[in-house]
Amino acid sequence: MPAFAFAAELRIGNGGEPLTLDPHRYNLNLEEKILGDLFEGLTAHDARGRIVPGAAESWTTSADGLTWTFALREDGRWADGAPVTAEDFVFSFRRLLDPRTAASLAYFLYAIDGAEEVNNGAAPLERLGVTAPDALTLRVRLREPFPFLAERLIYPTGFPVPKHVVAKLGDDWVKPGNMVTNGAYTLADWQPQAFVRAIRNPHFRAAESVRVDTVTYFSTDDRNAAYNRYLAGELDVIGDFPLGELARVRREAPAHLHVAPLLSMMYLVFNTAEAPFADARVRRALALALDRRRITEQVLRGGEVASASFVPPMVAGYDSAVAQSAADPPAARALLREAGYHAGNPLAVTLRHIAGADNKKAQVAIAAMWNAIGVRTELHHAELNAHFAALRQGDFQVAQAGWFGENNPEHYLELLMSTAGDVNYGRFADPEVDALMQEAKRTADVAERVALLRRAEAVALATHPVVPLYSVTVRSLVHPRVAGWHANARNTHPARYLWLRSEKAKGTRP
Amino acid sequence: MRDALFGTALARLCCGVLLFAGASALLGPLVSPWAFDAVDWDAIDAPPSWTHWFGTDGSGRDLLARTLFGTGVSLFIAFSATAVSCLIGIPFGLVAGYLGGRADLVMMRVVDGLYALPFVLLVILLVALFGRNIHLLFLTLGAVYWLDIARIVRGQTLVVRGEAFVDAARALGATPLRIGLRHIAPNVLGPAAVYITIAVPGVIIAESFISFLGLGVQEPRTSLGMLIADGAREMRSSPWQLAFPACWLAAILCAFTILGDRLRDAVDVVGGRRRSHDERRTAPFNRAPLPLPPVRGAR
Amino acid sequence: MARYLLRRIAFSLVTLWAVVTVAFFLVRAAPGGPFDGERRLPPSVEANLRAAYHLDDPLPRQYGRYLAMLVGGDLGPSFRSKDFSVNELIGRGLPVSLVLGGLAFLLALAAGVGAGTWAACAKDRPRDRLVTIWATLGLALPPIIVAPALVLLFAVGLGWLPAGGHQGARHFVLPVVALALPHAAAFARLARGAVIEVLARPHVLTARAKGLPGRRIVVRHVLPSALLPVVSFAGPAAAALLAGSMVIEQVFSLPGLGRHFVQGALNRDYTLVTGAVIVYAALVLGLNLLADICLVRLDRRASHA
Repeated sequence: MPAFAFAAELRIGNGGEPLTLDPHRYNLNLEEKILGDLFEGLTAHDARGRIVPGAAESWTTSADGLTWTFALREDGRWADGAPVTAEDFVFSFRRLLDPRTAASLAYFLYAIDGAEEVNNGAAPLERLGVTAPDALTLRVRLREPFPFLAERLIYPTGFPVPKHVVAKLGDDWVKPGNMVTNGAYTLADWQPQAFVRAIRNPHFRAAESVRVDTVTYFSTDDRNAAYNRYLAGELDVIGDFPLGELARVRREAPAHLHVAPLLSMMYLVFNTAEAPFADARVRRALALALDRRRITEQVLRGGEVASASFVPPMVAGYDSAVAQSAADPPAARALLREAGYHAGNPLAVTLRHIAGADNKKAQVAIAAMWNAIGVRTELHHAELNAHFAALRQGDFQVAQAGWFGENNPEHYLELLMSTAGDVNYGRFADPEVDALMQEAKRTADVAERVALLRRAEAVALATHPVVPLYSVTVRSLVHPRVAGWHANARNTHPARYLWLRSEKAKGTRP
Repeated sequence: MRDALFGTALARLCCGVLLFAGASALLGPLVSPWAFDAVDWDAIDAPPSWTHWFGTDGSGRDLLARTLFGTGVSLFIAFSATAVSCLIGIPFGLVAGYLGGRADLVMMRVVDGLYALPFVLLVILLVALFGRNIHLLFLTLGAVYWLDIARIVRGQTLVVRGEAFVDAARALGATPLRIGLRHIAPNVLGPAAVYITIAVPGVIIAESFISFLGLGVQEPRTSLGMLIADGAREMRSSPWQLAFPACWLAAILCAFTILGDRLRDAVDVVGGRRRSHDERRTAPFNRAPLPLPPVRGAR
Repeated sequence: MARYLLRRIAFSLVTLWAVVTVAFFLVRAAPGGPFDGERRLPPSVEANLRAAYHLDDPLPRQYGRYLAMLVGGDLGPSFRSKDFSVNELIGRGLPVSLVLGGLAFLLALAAGVGAGTWAACAKDRPRDRLVTIWATLGLALPPIIVAPALVLLFAVGLGWLPAGGHQGARHFVLPVVALALPHAAAFARLARGAVIEVLARPHVLTARAKGLPGRRIVVRHVLPSALLPVVSFAGPAAAALLAGSMVIEQVFSLPGLGRHFVQGALNRDYTLVTGAVIVYAALVLGLNLLADICLVRLDRRASHA
């Protein structure tokens, strides 16, 4: 197959194999990237990761913050030419929350009135608070104010699927050849473990502005292999490369390099339900022993942003009350002694982490810092899914965890509510934190809401249920012939905003 | 046999390499100024120097100390797995070869059947499913490799069983157990020794393969395979992280292979081989001019 | 011969059934399940999924259902790749593995037997030493070193060949070489030893005394007997090569069967793992059978020679 015969083909190393291209069943970030080019939700990202109107031209919010009314675009079209209607959206939201769809991320839209009941099978689909007063108006009712709805709708869970196709083909609608999308691209081919190929959608509402004809997403699950293929000129974009190469790339090919902090938080979580970490002094001691800057600047060296706050520093409009503090090993030792651990009775802990080269480096450094204050630290690594399965079951003492996502503080702080369920891995429960968080969630005014969140964070982190470490960075290599690429904290780069310069501009590779 | 083993400079060199590898793995950690898991904050990703002869890894740990430690782990896994396979395979082969007839046929059919199991996958499956555990690793590898030694021992037993001295012993009223232990087992030791020189490097390579897939031993412990797998990922930016462990591994594997060849020549001379049709079917296993297991093992 | 064949085939089927059974229960005995993710599914959702895949039935019933499906040639739906069935996944992965493994096998066989014979004809002379050193090193350098080194040199450094993918013939050159190398070394050692031994046999000495040319002696009188051990090793070797090398596939981003093995096992994709095991076992059994048939034939020829 002549892979390089496409005149204007953008070849993206997408980091792995998508498990599905059904937007309602999706689960992975790398699927999100493909789906974002194939579909368009009510809201969308622009080239810089800002939230802009998508299939909806505009929207209004009622005074109580509970009713959102979206006006759909008149020129919205599916790839087969059919118009995108409000009825498609009603069908899609119901499909997402229909228990028979078994969408694992259905909870993303639990803010909608009746969503949770419908998803649990406790209420009929019609109970869902999404209605279509006319073909181009969509009304969404929420169960409590949720000012971040526009942001929440950019995930594939909020994407429309073509009612007329899904009703006819059932689950097979998603196969290449069947799938009909409303985004800038349509699915052309999918070779499992090799690539997904998308081509321009001629019916897209802004089709004339789309400049790249073909986008191929390669399933590059080994980042060394992806890097080699990039160096050999077989890929135009890779989202990650070996850390050790960063210095060389900076030196030899700075034009290729795009580094941006990602909206994310890497942290350590203590199992507060069990000894030894039921004791806040022990948690505080281990937190005090850590030197974040040493981890980010000496070990990882990829531009990670050290953070003492549980909310990533780049979240807009949030100024954490938690101060950056320096490591203090003597104080840590003193606390340990107070808690009954000393040379004769040393504290022994197992630190669980996710397999992977960068994770390993950071955890080895953390273990070394703890060993230095007399804590015997064993490491235990597992694949991503197994790791989080263990965490959810409370089968850990202290573990690495991460939370990626949104540009609002609530998204992160929710993890510390006793009602958060199993994503509150450490079973942390503090009535004061819960009360503050719940009050925030009932508040429609954003400034007031954020102030309450800020207080909740300060109260929670005073007892160290988690140790925030850093926000990760995305290190992308983008060939200079690809234009329109803007590094952003969302790490989102819709293909419709990119274009390819002529071959003459081809720069040298690192 | 002794001459073949130690007669040439090359063979002596190989013995030297293996002895040195074993001794340094045992004694190295005692004399090394760096512990295998100690982090030197001032030398992260550092090339070889006077303080760190082999350089350091991405976490600032001394590579010489880690290479020695990893050699110990790899050799431990390899010898334990080989021991496990001998414990299963030798009695199995002896019994099958000695009994002969239907029993032999059934037992060998079981071996043939097990050969059809995708063992690489089985090991990966077990490690992926039940967690990384060094004991699980060598037990599984041992359980995989016993098939070869069972075939070798059975072939050799078939040959020895027909010898005059066994008939004589039987005529003198010796019990089967006594014949097995006193007359047959000693004659099987030679091929078994050859097998060990084949199996040990095979297991070392299989372990490196498992490490490459990210299923090796737990950090901060390491093995040669894991050092190489990690080093291979950094070979462009930090070549020393691959070069030292890889050379070390290659030297050990070469030494085993060459010694295995010598040993086989020696055993062949002692054995005074006679080949039956049966034996010819399993030819590469009992006359093996090559290490079969490493190849079948894990590529 | 026909009876022998039938017996062997029947035996292979029984073995295959045993493999299926072991794999079926082994993956289910492991901790974790196919629906584990970063977040636990709401109980109702998980219950829905389990029902959709019949995981809520008692094990024996699931096993019966699976066997019935197998007999019909259906390996079931994949648990994690929601848009493909296991048949589709293996159907696309297997050809890549077969091409890769087949080419590597042919290369290993040709290069190995050629080099081994060439060396044996000049025992203890420089070229023999050269081949022996090469064969020893080939076995001592695992593919996890060789494969990345080849990429670095030929794809990234010299830019002669692609670094990954499977779009054309050029993409297969490096992976085939990396995969064939250790097997070629093994074949070379095997062939060399066998040829040396056969060269010393009386009938070869007779042929040589009769003044037959060297090349003819090797081809007509030596190789048929000497190939016996090579062929019986070729069965398992071919199976190992064909079933896909996970390391090679990972380094060269090839979408073969081996990747499905590893991904399936790590993600507890029960049907995919079991399906891959079945395909692999069928390959091994088939190839061993083939090697045995060749062996019987060669054996006859060898005793006539």
